[in-house]
Amino acid sequence: MLVSINWLKDYIDFDLSPEELADKLNLTGTAVESVKHLGQDLGNVWVGIILDIKPHPNADKLSLATVRIDRPETLEIVCGAKNIKVGDKVPVATVGAHLPNGMDIKPAKIRGVTSYGMLCSRAELRMGADHSGIYILPDDVEVGVPLAQALSLDDTIIELEITPNRPDCLSMLGIAREVGAIEDRKLHKPSVDLTECFEKTSNVASIKIIDPDLCPRYSARIIRKVKIGPSPTWMQQRLEKAGMRPINNIVDITNYVMLETGQPLHAFDFNTLHGGKIVVRRARNGEHLETLDGVVRELDESMLVIADADRPVALAGIMGGEDTEVSDKTADILLESAYFEPSSIMRTSRSLGLLSEASTRFEKGTDPNGTIYAADRAAAFMAEFADGSVDKGVIDVYPKVIEPKKVPLRADRVNAILGTDLSLDGIVNILNRLELTAEVISNTTEMWVLTPTFRPDLEREIDLIEEIARIYGYNNIKSTLPKSGDKQGGLNLRQKLAESVKDRLVGAGLSEVLTYSFMDPNDVDKLQVPQGDPLCWFVRLLNPLSEDLSVLRTTLLANLIKVLKYNVNREQYDVQIFEVGHTFWHESGKDMPDEETMLGIAMTGAWKSDKWYDKARSIDFFDLKGAVESVLDELSIANWSVRQFTHPALHPGRSAELLIDDESIGYFGELHPNVQSDFDIPRTYVAELSFNRLIDNAKMQKEFSEIPKYPSIILDIAVLVDDPISNDQVLGVIEAAGKPLLKSARLFDLYRGKGVPEGKKSMAYSMVFRTPDRTLTDEEAFNAREKVVGRLGKELGAEIRE
Amino acid sequence: MVTRADIENMYEKAKTAVVKATNLQQLDQVRVEYLGKKGKITSVLKTLGQLTPEERKEIGQAANKIRQNLESDITDRQEELSREEVAKRLAAESVDISLPGRERVYGHRHLISQVIKEITDIFIGLGYKVAEGPEVELDYYNFKALNTPADHPARSLQDTFYIRKAGVHPADDDIVLRTHTSPVQIRVMKSQEPPVYIIAPGRAFRRDVPDPTHSPMFHQVEGLAVDKGITFGDLKGTLEEFSRQMFGRKSQVRVVAREAFEAGIAEDGPQIRLRPHFFPFTEPSAEVDVRCFACGGVGCRICGSGWLEILGAGMVDPNVLIEVGYNPEEVSGFAFGMGVERIAMLLYGVPDIRMFFENDTRFAEQF
Ligand SMILES: [Zn+2]
Repeated sequence: MLVSINWLKDYIDFDLSPEELADKLNLTGTAVESVKHLGQDLGNVWVGIILDIKPHPNADKLSLATVRIDRPETLEIVCGAKNIKVGDKVPVATVGAHLPNGMDIKPAKIRGVTSYGMLCSRAELRMGADHSGIYILPDDVEVGVPLAQALSLDDTIIELEITPNRPDCLSMLGIAREVGAIEDRKLHKPSVDLTECFEKTSNVASIKIIDPDLCPRYSARIIRKVKIGPSPTWMQQRLEKAGMRPINNIVDITNYVMLETGQPLHAFDFNTLHGGKIVVRRARNGEHLETLDGVVRELDESMLVIADADRPVALAGIMGGEDTEVSDKTADILLESAYFEPSSIMRTSRSLGLLSEASTRFEKGTDPNGTIYAADRAAAFMAEFADGSVDKGVIDVYPKVIEPKKVPLRADRVNAILGTDLSLDGIVNILNRLELTAEVISNTTEMWVLTPTFRPDLEREIDLIEEIARIYGYNNIKSTLPKSGDKQGGLNLRQKLAESVKDRLVGAGLSEVLTYSFMDPNDVDKLQVPQGDPLCWFVRLLNPLSEDLSVLRTTLLANLIKVLKYNVNREQYDVQIFEVGHTFWHESGKDMPDEETMLGIAMTGAWKSDKWYDKARSIDFFDLKGAVESVLDELSIANWSVRQFTHPALHPGRSAELLIDDESIGYFGELHPNVQSDFDIPRTYVAELSFNRLIDNAKMQKEFSEIPKYPSIILDIAVLVDDPISNDQVLGVIEAAGKPLLKSARLFDLYRGKGVPEGKKSMAYSMVFRTPDRTLTDEEAFNAREKVVGRLGKELGAEIRE
Repeated sequence: MVTRADIENMYEKAKTAVVKATNLQQLDQVRVEYLGKKGKITSVLKTLGQLTPEERKEIGQAANKIRQNLESDITDRQEELSREEVAKRLAAESVDISLPGRERVYGHRHLISQVIKEITDIFIGLGYKVAEGPEVELDYYNFKALNTPADHPARSLQDTFYIRKAGVHPADDDIVLRTHTSPVQIRVMKSQEPPVYIIAPGRAFRRDVPDPTHSPMFHQVEGLAVDKGITFGDLKGTLEEFSRQMFGRKSQVRVVAREAFEAGIAEDGPQIRLRPHFFPFTEPSAEVDVRCFACGGVGCRICGSGWLEILGAGMVDPNVLIEVGYNPEEVSGFAFGMGVERIAMLLYGVPDIRMFFENDTRFAEQF
């Protein structure tokens, strides 16, 4: 909504600068988008009159205009446009002007003739797109005055954003009422001075509402023998400031009154209405109507139309029809001023994709009791500015009068909700400023508030409390904190654990990423996942933005791999990342999609770069496993194990399933070379684990165990075993055989190559022997080692390397 | 026969040898040569028996004196040599302290997580718990229970991602990607009696084509307090306290510009400003501006006016309380919400919201 300050002052007095007014509107709920001072860059641009036009002596396409402004001498100006004639009033920019389009005016020699200024087009003044000719000003402007003044541009336009709950503010009177409430000033609503002729409206026209649920009220007037022509300059200027294009006096008047009152009006060429009839009804399926924009619309029975005796002539509340439009030949007008049911207008406007100034007002709710005033105001203007004669009386079909609502309000409740200490009088005063009448129930602080029909948003006590808060000023309400002491903030245990896992991964060198909850369904193909795999149980969006964001992610891996790729493509080759986020899947037959929190890890490139003290090393499976182990360690999960795992996306020899007790928690491994080539990424390691199940298995109970009092004996052992034998197998035997003196054992060397036969490997373990109650003798330790050696030989065929 | 002169001569030679010794080994050789069991001075002392008592006394005293002198000379030289050796070793061991240290590898939390944590910590301090919920929601929780009118534009296919939509008219069991984290509030209220003091951080989705300021996925932190006697003043006070800690001068993290101090605004002025607004689930509702942390409120390139629009807030609409089974005559509440990306962009000068989800390592490493 564009509000001219000068126009606004017709209805309300205030002593605020435009900026102060904007600030006050902003802080009382009418959001201000911008404040624009018009005419500021029109210094040294004047209204001039053309006294003479001669051809340029040296150029065919140019002419030489003699122009007078408010000075005794005249100016010679070289001009290229052809649309001027002697006697035209035009904008003249004189030397020193700095035009809105950036042009500076200086004396200039053009083909040998000095030009002392410029005649301006609309485009040069930024008053429109037209740069084809000079802007010919209306005849009634005074020569010699600054152009800004002549065009009423000594004005400020405030652009307001009106929230959908305040349709009343889509009008100058509504804004003025709002300013009145803020400033505690009285509104001057223009009175209508209408002279009617003897012919009775109801004698020539008839109106029938077939569907009063969609059209509760239809009022109309007839204005005869109008002379179609331009509307007065001041009205055109106001329309332009409000962002509307002047058309002719009749259309301009309907628009002007709509902007003033918020009541959309429509003028029919009365003589084109068959039978002089208006019928408000639902459209019939298959009916057509050519609307004013020249589009033939197919109608259906959900839409309300205005019809004459035979056919639809307008889409009710949205747009008039081509056939009954006011034209240059129009003599008699039927002026419609109606109230339509908002949601019906909204539905029709949406389904046709057709918005208009009228529909945006009707769909938010106009004032059903404002139709007559608007019709009378427009009729009076038509009499004055189009020489029309107004028939006697309004036809007003209003089967069920819509009364103002009575809303109960308790002063105590106002203060209880706002935390204020407003008196009963104070509250009533604010209500009155908003044109709300309060009937206080005697001897109580309770009241009935009559909410006018132009405020359909005020239905409940809380609505009134908001109004009071708004006008009292949100920022005048004292800040407090909730009084209740009955609250303890904090993260719960799971949330704390989740945070500590993420921080641990960061400490382990991985960076957290956040990727979309969407994924590209084609990515599961790149992951080599077969049809029917749970990773294909997509939750599909009905209205995705694009195919690659069309399903919710069933796995974190695809998005993580794409993050690696994004970085590698930008010369960031060493990337280690993790994400904790939801995955989604839709099991067939189930109603709601499932959702689970997962931990995804992806790594590629080198572990650190080349350094002066160290060479870079490529990330491998065990870097990934180390990251997984750090998570298990953070959660003090001990009862985990891994086993060989087959997954189409993973390298068959370098992938593992993680188990806690016997439950699968997820998997990790190197991406299969096919996956790497499909995604076009280098060697990559990934993990995807159920974050929920990890947290479920966290051991929260930690208990002190004695720190050894007696020294340990550490003995090493190196064995040759067949290649397929795993570390877990060897350790298992060592731990079983070393009991009870063996406290721990760890692999410290793994070797294949020279000195080790083909198909074998050498594994060296360091074993710690200890007793809790005395110092262990060397002999005891050696005996225990011997037992281990024996069992390794017997159970795994291991040879001891001495 | 040794004479006193011989002995003194011997001492002179020994002393020269001590001074000439350049390391502890050579010095030890000198010690053995003169003072060892078969050393020159020791030998002299062994021959004393052959002398007359007078001679014995004179020579003996001289030899002993010389022995003591030599021992002390050797000790001194020994200390000197040790010092030199230590100094030499230290000199040899010195390093180029300008070489970079050995890298400890660590990663980075995502900036959005960091900002969420900062916000969360403040509200935990104010007595709030953290609540979470699903990203895929029923229309009921996302819209209806929040008093959203059936024809609200947010419910259109244009604005909200739908997974299931029965028809043109909204149905309770239509399935959407949550458009805010407010449905978490409904779930919490439905599962417990008041008082409720929670914040709900998390992902939200709107059908916006990605551009520098829009993303189909973003993060929100929403808050809810429902208790006996909660007022609009409490909402103001809570947001004021939050803003002071998050953005204010006393928040050690933010540096308020000099001009603001000089203008005295940052010190005295209010931290927030409320403008009435319309949201379906709160009434009265407000948009909340926070005093610009970059300029302290004098107006700058970031804020223009000195204020930054950061939050939406209001008193929980009685319809919402009734919907979850609370009695609005007994309890009242306030709710607020903020966009995490917007805050992060303002605080850290991030120019494009899409950078948060591109996950460029060079972006992550800056925070
Ligand atoms: Zn600023």
